[in-house]
Amino acid sequence: MKWEVFRQAKKKDYHTHVGDVHAPNAELARQYAQIMHARRKPANSLWVVPRDDIEEVHADEQGVAMGGTTQKEYRWATNYNTDETFAEEIEASQREQEEAERDLAGVDE
Amino acid sequence: MDVETVTERAGPREFGPGDEMPREYREAATRMIQFHANSEIMGAYIERPFIRQAPSLDRKLAVSAQVQDEIGHGQLLYRAAEELGVKTREEMLAELENGEGKFLNCFHYPLDDWYELPMIMFFVDGAAMRRQATLKRTSWEPYAHAIDKICFEEGFHIKHGEDILRTLATGSRKDQERLQEAFERWWPRILQFFGPTDDQSTHGDFSMAVGLKTMTNDDLRNAFLNAYVPKAEKYGLELPEYPRVEYHEDDDYYEVYEEDLDWEEFFTVAANEYPTGVGQIEKRRRAQDAVEWVRDAIETPQQGGVDPAAADD
Repeated sequence: MKWEVFRQAKKKDYHTHVGDVHAPNAELARQYAQIMHARRKPANSLWVVPRDDIEEVHADEQGVAMGGTTQKEYRWATNYNTDETFAEEIEASQREQEEAERDLAGVDE
Repeated sequence: MDVETVTERAGPREFGPGDEMPREYREAATRMIQFHANSEIMGAYIERPFIRQAPSLDRKLAVSAQVQDEIGHGQLLYRAAEELGVKTREEMLAELENGEGKFLNCFHYPLDDWYELPMIMFFVDGAAMRRQATLKRTSWEPYAHAIDKICFEEGFHIKHGEDILRTLATGSRKDQERLQEAFERWWPRILQFFGPTDDQSTHGDFSMAVGLKTMTNDDLRNAFLNAYVPKAEKYGLELPEYPRVEYHEDDDYYEVYEEDLDWEEFFTVAANEYPTGVGQIEKRRRAQDAVEWVRDAIETPQQGGVDPAAADD
């Protein structure tokens, strides 16, 4: 049985997917996950989830548009040519959106 | 955990669903997040008519995307509040439609014309963003997570609002005049966004002590004024004579004369008793009722052997 492992490096971080382990039951899955994914790298917490219990939506397989595969420039802060530097929180949002746009561009290539 | 321990440990994203939080904390956090969620929903209802009234296709698409975002924020926040175990999402939605749910003062007023839209989409959302940015450090982790996504999207709303503001401010003389009128009408309400002064705030101290809030109403209002008064002036908007806003040159900050603001109206608004606000709540109730059948259809198991998966075929 396959279990997916999500590691939280430090308290307050998000759990991110780090890989999987094969194990016959939850207890062994937790142990294997610890050994595989938390022995060397810092970990505050691990989530170990049966693979079969994870619902998935896959952009290509289901033919669904996710994360801006259609043209939606109007949805991005970067589309509006105004000065955001007057407030740091707007600048921060703009930076996050620029990063997301770069990631999307990377996916298309 | 008792309140004393909570106060000692309080810090950014310190507590989550795995922690046994005292009742006072859970109730204070629920009140705050539910207010925020309600405001997102009611804000969307204020903006919605402008999808139809937008003067161009681009504007129409952007307002539509924005309304969609706000509803999404509401849902995220109800989830974050629900994890406190005080009220379910259904209970909170029911409170909103029966007039018990509190929400932001600015969304109790009608929004009649396009010139007023930047008042919401730039100034009110800007004030909200100022406050929300500080909540990335709130002590209730699920709230902070919701805020991460909200702030990501909110930058677009404010920049779109500023884009509309600039278009109108650099338009015809008539555009400029109507924009100025809208500004004068909305400015006092916008100044009341952050609520009454710290010394009159009922829940502020506890929320600060347990890390739910990280900045006081007064500090937030000043930070907002410092960023947005120069911005209004840049677009040729003149601050009305009242409420008086004073610039303190020595310490480089703006201050509003609280006594110039209509707090009686504010508290009527806050109690959901202001006539136009009552109308907004009624609209929300009708919309909620109108789609009751959709919720029923989703939640009731299908009769007659139709498997939900059948929709995939």
